[in-house]
Amino acid sequence: MKKNQPTPPRLAKGFLLRFLRNDLVEEVMGDLDEKFYYTLGKNSLFKARLNYWSQVFNYLRPFAIRNLKSINSNNFAMFKNYSKIAWRNLFKYKMYSFIKIGGFAIGIAACLLISLFVKEELSYDKYYENGNRIYRVINVYNNNVDFWRWTAFPAQIAQVLQDNFPEIEKAGRLIPYDWYNAGNNQFRAAEQTQNNYEEGFAYADQELLEILQIPLVYGNPEHALEKPNSMVLSKRMADKYFPDKDPVGQTVILNEDESNPYVVGGVMENFPSNSHLQFDFFITLTEVEFWPGEQTNWCCSNYNPYILVREGTDPHELEEKLLFIRDNYIVRHLRETENQDAVDEQKYRSFYLQAIGDIRLKSKDIGDIIPHGDIQIVWLFAAIACFILLLACINFINLSTAKSANRAREVGLRKVVGSFRRNLIRQFLTESIFFSGISVAFGTLLAATFSPYFNLLSGKSLTLPWMEWWFIPLLILLIIVIGFLAGIYPSLYLSAFKPINTLKGGPSKGSKSSRLRNAMVVFQFTTSITLIVGAFIVYRQMEYILNKELGYDREQVVMIQGTNTLRDKLAPFKNELLLLSEVKNVAASNYLPVSGTKRDQNQFWKDGRSKLDRGVGAQAWRVDPDYINTLGMNLLEGRGFSAEMASDSSAVIINQTMAKKLGLENPVGKRIMNRRTWTVIGVVEDFHFESLKGGIGPLCFFRGTHGSILSVKVQTENMAEVLKSITTVWDKFMPHQPIRYTFLDETYARMYEDVQRTSRIFTSFAVLAVIVACLGLFALSAFMTEQRRKEISIRKVLGASLGNLFQLLTLNFVKLVLISLVIAVPIAWKMMQKWLEDFDNRTEINWDVFLLAGIMAISIAILTISYQSIRAALTDPVDNLRSE
Amino acid sequence: MKETRLGEFEEVILLLVGILGEEAYAFKIAEEFESQTKRSVSIGATHSTLSRLEDKGFLTSEMGKSTPERGGRRKRIYTITASGQRALVASRDFKLSLWNQYPAFSTGKLSFGI
Repeated sequence: MKKNQPTPPRLAKGFLLRFLRNDLVEEVMGDLDEKFYYTLGKNSLFKARLNYWSQVFNYLRPFAIRNLKSINSNNFAMFKNYSKIAWRNLFKYKMYSFIKIGGFAIGIAACLLISLFVKEELSYDKYYENGNRIYRVINVYNNNVDFWRWTAFPAQIAQVLQDNFPEIEKAGRLIPYDWYNAGNNQFRAAEQTQNNYEEGFAYADQELLEILQIPLVYGNPEHALEKPNSMVLSKRMADKYFPDKDPVGQTVILNEDESNPYVVGGVMENFPSNSHLQFDFFITLTEVEFWPGEQTNWCCSNYNPYILVREGTDPHELEEKLLFIRDNYIVRHLRETENQDAVDEQKYRSFYLQAIGDIRLKSKDIGDIIPHGDIQIVWLFAAIACFILLLACINFINLSTAKSANRAREVGLRKVVGSFRRNLIRQFLTESIFFSGISVAFGTLLAATFSPYFNLLSGKSLTLPWMEWWFIPLLILLIIVIGFLAGIYPSLYLSAFKPINTLKGGPSKGSKSSRLRNAMVVFQFTTSITLIVGAFIVYRQMEYILNKELGYDREQVVMIQGTNTLRDKLAPFKNELLLLSEVKNVAASNYLPVSGTKRDQNQFWKDGRSKLDRGVGAQAWRVDPDYINTLGMNLLEGRGFSAEMASDSSAVIINQTMAKKLGLENPVGKRIMNRRTWTVIGVVEDFHFESLKGGIGPLCFFRGTHGSILSVKVQTENMAEVLKSITTVWDKFMPHQPIRYTFLDETYARMYEDVQRTSRIFTSFAVLAVIVACLGLFALSAFMTEQRRKEISIRKVLGASLGNLFQLLTLNFVKLVLISLVIAVPIAWKMMQKWLEDFDNRTEINWDVFLLAGIMAISIAILTISYQSIRAALTDPVDNLRSE
Repeated sequence: MKETRLGEFEEVILLLVGILGEEAYAFKIAEEFESQTKRSVSIGATHSTLSRLEDKGFLTSEMGKSTPERGGRRKRIYTITASGQRALVASRDFKLSLWNQYPAFSTGKLSFGI
């Protein structure tokens, strides 16, 4: 045989020899070698090796395995002994065991739940077969001062992408926001009369269905959205409106608009919960034109393009090529309309291809109305969970080393009768893994019990994945890792005792080497205080948001939704409502200063300057003449709209920011323009119409009469009564459409659900951390007082008062908590400052937060310790001294 | 009493031992099984069956010669015992009797292209 001839994998051979019965070794090894060289003759070396491994595993059969008991019987017996001792210790020191296990269980439960949360967040949009080839095209504007990214493109974008770039296999557009029929609508099947309010409408191209590979239950996936006025429903909506039948070909009506019916082209599976898109209705974009010339004009950006690229396309190279669109379409359009932005756009505009898997967590600065997670929050939670687990580990380490005095004799004796240090380390590790096993079991139970509560906190619906193949092995791995982490230091420490010292009965070392233990207590309390401060500040910010003066009055405003179907009956309905004594004002508009209502961004210039100046981007809201009064906004100059004055159809009311941005002094009477000219008749005081995370942008009102939301300002002590009267009026006008209303203040609060959620999660974690830290502190103080029992008794005999003794026993711990406070303050300050930076409108971090957190931590610590100290100080000295 | 019926796999293995004669050892039997049935089988599974058949008394074995590609190790050669042969015959007869009771087959109206 040649020397460098390939041989079977040595590791596999070794493994085989470990379990194979001795009398089988010769024949089996021979057979396997023969098989290996035989396979090698026909296949690659890798295949032969792989086959060898699989052959080895196939020998794991009862007939071939050596009798286990015969190997290392001593080791096995020792392990039995270790677990027996561990079991006895568990019951001998019930309180300490309870604290070790309880702390661990809490930490593990927190960790498990958070891991589920993190896993869910990371799993968003990872399920597409071609996921690595699907991208969302995004605009980037970067002039080194401002950095903007947004998703909206003009209508032609899909065609341009498809025609000019061979790398792009398919391009499709999506309109996900509240716009024309996208958003929410009154919906019914043509044969029904009952109108229902439904959310989750979006416009989409047929290509989008194909790019996202949306599976269809009914209909042809290649033609479902192809025809004009076709529509795809989700499975749950199909079940709701067309139970037990194939709805393809059925007609449906949106908003009572019978002149424009839609035909169901297909039924898609419901979107999985971990998709960034959550729609129930796709309306086709085929032959849609929202206004004359809209589909060919490069003025207005309303479409989000998704693309599927061909295999092997480099997204960065494609991004470079996409600049073609900037040069030949966007900038050309600006030049043709003599827009002054052309130069800057040419210089600073570029494009970014966002992989579909990144959309959920990496879109923080991209304005796209789609609910996002925040990768920072995800990692923050993960870090907090790890910290809580670490705190529990520290309890274990602290208690094990502190209680070492009780084990010292055992260690000494074991060494004397021949145990090596190695064996002792093994023993203590076995013990800690034993503890962590029990804790993981309890922790998993805790997690299962509290998962509904956690779901409430996190706004998800997570359950423990018992059925997944990896779950149980993962728990076992967790047991081993935690047991090892928590047990390694105590076992090294305990196993190092010298037999002669421990057996002689000298003072135990455990109680003295307390520096490390103190450091750990400080660490625990630093973490706890940081979390307490964090919880306080998040709570304060939420309070700030909810009590902020917004520039309009959000109290006692009822928003009746879906009033667009009233059509001509809107004015009579308004008048009838105003007859109710509690109703002060009524205004119709689609636009309201809370999210989830319509928005319309436009470019404005001073009259006649559109070819000279850069435009000012502003919100253009069409509102009813009673709008400003209904919402309690302040008109600073000029007047509001009048329903009677015909000239008001070209009048505009602007906010202060807009006046400033346009450079208008004394704006009333001045003229501004977008596609036409408008006369400013009033200036409204700035009010917050977007999230307080941002500032107040330019905004203007035009006169309108209709709207899908009717805001009703009421003044009453008895809201229920008023709602009943409003409902009666509504039912008179719209017998086939149930009334649907929300409250402005509640809708406003809902905008900050993420803040509220962060607040609640912070609070829960802070509480958990404090509980774990206190458990540890309680046990430590119990141990300390136990150690000093005799000292206390003697002091008491000599006349020390209860106060003296209490001070003696608590002062040390209070000192530690104070040190923790000093360390925690800058950490918490820095962390929360960073969090608050997201908000343009934010509360100040005051020193009183830290004071409050400090007082809380110290009082909790003292309360924890005092039980033990007072009990020790109150015992009769005779009990502790008589045995001497 | 020991189980003396033959399973399908056992029966095939037993037959292969007879066919291979002097060369009937675990690796060769597994190879032959794969090439004759086009089903894959591990040496371990074959070996396990062989040793079970030996326990039932259908096979005996002894260590044979060694070859260089086995790293100089000897192989265990299996041979069928008289009771193994009886079991094979009983199994075949039993099946034949079943075939004969099936009217469509026994009259020869159906041809399976044999």
